[in-house]
Amino acid sequence: MDKRLIEILEEIQPEADYETCKTLVDDHYLDSLSIIALVAELEEEYDIMIPTVEIIPENFNSAENLWMMITRLKEED
Amino acid sequence: MRYAKRIIAFLVFVCGLILLLLAASFLFMPKNNMKEFGMEEVSANGILGEKENTVDVLVVGDSESYSAVTPMQIWKEQGYTAYVCGSSGQTLDYSMTMIRRAFEKQKPKLVFLETDAIYRKVSKSGALLTKLGNYLSVFRYHNRWKSLSWNDLKGHAEFTWTDDYKGYEYNNAVAPCKNQDYMIPSGTAARIPELNRLYVQEIRNYCEENGAKLVFLSTPSPVNWNYERHNGIAALAGELSCDYIDLNLQNEQLQIDWSKDTRDKGDHLNHNGAVKATHYLADYLNQTNLLTDHRGDPEYEKWNEALKRYEAAVSSAGNGQ
Amino acid sequence: MPSISSYFSLAYLGLLLPLTIVVYAAAPQKIRRWALLIFSWLFFWSISGKLIVYLLFSILSVHHIGLWLSMLQEEGDRLLKAADRGERKALKAQCQRKQRMVMTFGACLHIGILLLLKYGPFFVLNINRVFRALGLHVNLTVPSFALPIGISFYTLQAVSYLFDVYRRKIPADKSMFRLALFMSFFPQIMEGPICRYEDTAGELWEAEPIRFQNLVFGAERILFGAMKELVLADRLNLLIQNVFTNYDTYDGFVIALSAVCYTLQLYMDFSGTMDIVIGSAQIFGVTLPENFRRPFFSRTISEFWKRWHITLGTWFKDYVFFPLSMSKPLKKLTSRARKRLGNHFGPLLSGSIALFAVWFCNGLWHGAGWHYIFFGMYHFCLILIGNMIEPLVLSVTGKLHISRSSLPYRCFQIVRTAVLVCIGELFFRATGLRAGFAMFRKIFTNFTLATFRDRTLFTFGMDQKDYLIVFIAVLLIFVVGLLQEKGIAIREKLAGKNLAVQFSAYYALVLFIVIFGAYGSGYVPVDPIYAGF
Repeated sequence: MDKRLIEILEEIQPEADYETCKTLVDDHYLDSLSIIALVAELEEEYDIMIPTVEIIPENFNSAENLWMMITRLKEED
Repeated sequence: MRYAKRIIAFLVFVCGLILLLLAASFLFMPKNNMKEFGMEEVSANGILGEKENTVDVLVVGDSESYSAVTPMQIWKEQGYTAYVCGSSGQTLDYSMTMIRRAFEKQKPKLVFLETDAIYRKVSKSGALLTKLGNYLSVFRYHNRWKSLSWNDLKGHAEFTWTDDYKGYEYNNAVAPCKNQDYMIPSGTAARIPELNRLYVQEIRNYCEENGAKLVFLSTPSPVNWNYERHNGIAALAGELSCDYIDLNLQNEQLQIDWSKDTRDKGDHLNHNGAVKATHYLADYLNQTNLLTDHRGDPEYEKWNEALKRYEAAVSSAGNGQ
Repeated sequence: MPSISSYFSLAYLGLLLPLTIVVYAAAPQKIRRWALLIFSWLFFWSISGKLIVYLLFSILSVHHIGLWLSMLQEEGDRLLKAADRGERKALKAQCQRKQRMVMTFGACLHIGILLLLKYGPFFVLNINRVFRALGLHVNLTVPSFALPIGISFYTLQAVSYLFDVYRRKIPADKSMFRLALFMSFFPQIMEGPICRYEDTAGELWEAEPIRFQNLVFGAERILFGAMKELVLADRLNLLIQNVFTNYDTYDGFVIALSAVCYTLQLYMDFSGTMDIVIGSAQIFGVTLPENFRRPFFSRTISEFWKRWHITLGTWFKDYVFFPLSMSKPLKKLTSRARKRLGNHFGPLLSGSIALFAVWFCNGLWHGAGWHYIFFGMYHFCLILIGNMIEPLVLSVTGKLHISRSSLPYRCFQIVRTAVLVCIGELFFRATGLRAGFAMFRKIFTNFTLATFRDRTLFTFGMDQKDYLIVFIAVLLIFVVGLLQEKGIAIREKLAGKNLAVQFSAYYALVLFIVIFGAYGSGYVPVDPIYAGF
């Protein structure tokens, strides 16, 4: 997993433990606004395009899933 | 095996439910026909307190019926006993219920059905609720939980009260009506809803089985009546071979003056109007040769007493105007 | 088939539902799905008659456009595979554009019909007003349309299906009738929940046999929903109708009370209907999405909207909020704003633009009227303000050493949220925006306890005993809610008890409804509130 991703997440929402938490969305650590911020940040950082179809709880529930999405999108591009 | 068990369990459940509802119905049934006992439509249900087999004529219908027919006047003029089991906004399902209730203790020879009720749409759910209420009175009187007392737990229902006005609602207010020529001849007939038609049929069959003549009666009302409705009822009367009296077409004899004889601009008659309409009906009843004059009969002494109270009340109210 | 006025009517609970269950149970698997579809259309036809053509048109067009999209996608993929690396990007963009156009066409078609039928008169009326204000003597005739039942609900389902096919979340459905059943399933057509194709279409078409446990659970839920409606919503109706139509004759206390009563009525009517809808579907083995999760335990307004009419909220989130806030201009705005305003206020800017759109649509969705738009804007402002002052609240509570998870603070939040919701519903129910403001003003300028002291409070619609019953029923629902909050599955618990206990529970509930239900003479049942939207 990417260190930078954890940094970005902590910058946006410092209260969660991103190494272990698997319910970031379900337990309301990430709300709609932080997701907007996160998407903008990730797109810039990794030079990807995150389409709205990817904005689903599964992709945002854990740092691991987020990273999987990022790598997948990078490959597709 | 599992299915059988489930079916038995279900049947047990349903039986238990019916028993519970029967018990609740016993509890909720008003124990007398007075308002304090939780009776609904008190003046109409006053008939339950009349002596057995003493009522000759029954009138059912909505507010038109109890505004236009005053039984005490029929008693005074011809010596026949009539009772108005009409109630506000009555629909035919409730008319049927009232007729059944009345026939439990009475053997009327003639039943007037006021025709405004024939055009008042019976809602299916309302009709079903009435039916349910006929068998399980908890569905009709459930609101009595507000006034239940220990007395409701014991004893049989006993109906002791009766109305001096015999279901008639006295009202001497005047609010003139401008629309005098509302009976404009027409070739079309107003449609009677299918469910209403079924109820009229049921009422007619019931009357026939119990030896009563059913007569449709349209009391005068420019607001509620017109020629299309007249045609609709006339056709129905022909189909069911019932008599039909439309007082709206008899104004030469009735002489209803719409500037004086209505209490609410032609919706209902007031007392003046009711006296005129009732006079006509009393004559009609006399001509049927179905009824006997009870005025001299000591069995009917109560009616003479009621007449005195009725006349005193009506004349004092009339003077106070 | 008699016309059905609501899911609480005897025609539905006593006739259509049992009849469908019997036919469904008796039919072999292959026929069951058709039975559901035919009964659904009968249901629709019995309410809206000829207007069923709108529904049929929607089904036809959604099916066709879905297939069209999927054809374009396949074709695009084939071309892309064959193309050179260099050409790919341009080709991909070209294919995307085509697909987007088809999808937009489909969505506009459906939303257009909805707009025309539902809002046409409102728009024309307001255009006329503008003309008059400008001093022009132009008066357009205001059209009036008969609305097919449930159009606000099935249109949203149709649009979500198209979106999801476009986004390749789901494959386009080749079977028109599966799609038809998804769009017109009779328990949910009138008042939702707004379903997603991937959640319900498959289960519906599968048409599982009726299972005993589902039958029992479904019936229990229907009974509980009927209790909410008959005992509470209908009982409150007289008072609410009275106060909201003659608000100028009542003082602030009565108006505040009626606002609370209306909020309660709306909740009972809608969630009670959902109990019946979801319970009915459960009997057929279909799990519909929940629309309510005990909303009055919410601590903030935005939490409230995650627990109240959930399927509408998520619909707007998935098909309006995110697409908008993820659109290119707003994304740019977000990254720029974040650098200047920081992590909290940066995304808030573009977020609130998207949020504005969501709440404008949400308000308008409820009906063509300015007070509905006001209602949407009211909640938009509350959520926005809540977000803006959040850092401030955090620092203040921190300094005052108030624990935000302590029980008193949580209770304070819950009560505050409920009060804000009640104020919103006051405007929502008011006969117009002006009436809403007049009523709201009265709460503060004309608040006396006179009606309570001289007991006239108990003369217009509800007496002391009615209030007592309302209290008891609310308490019952509160306790059930509390148990559910703690994660206790009541129906499963009950199923584990012996028959005597189970039967007693059913008997108690049935008798409670029969005796304390507000039906029969003297009562006017509520028109199903959400079916009007």
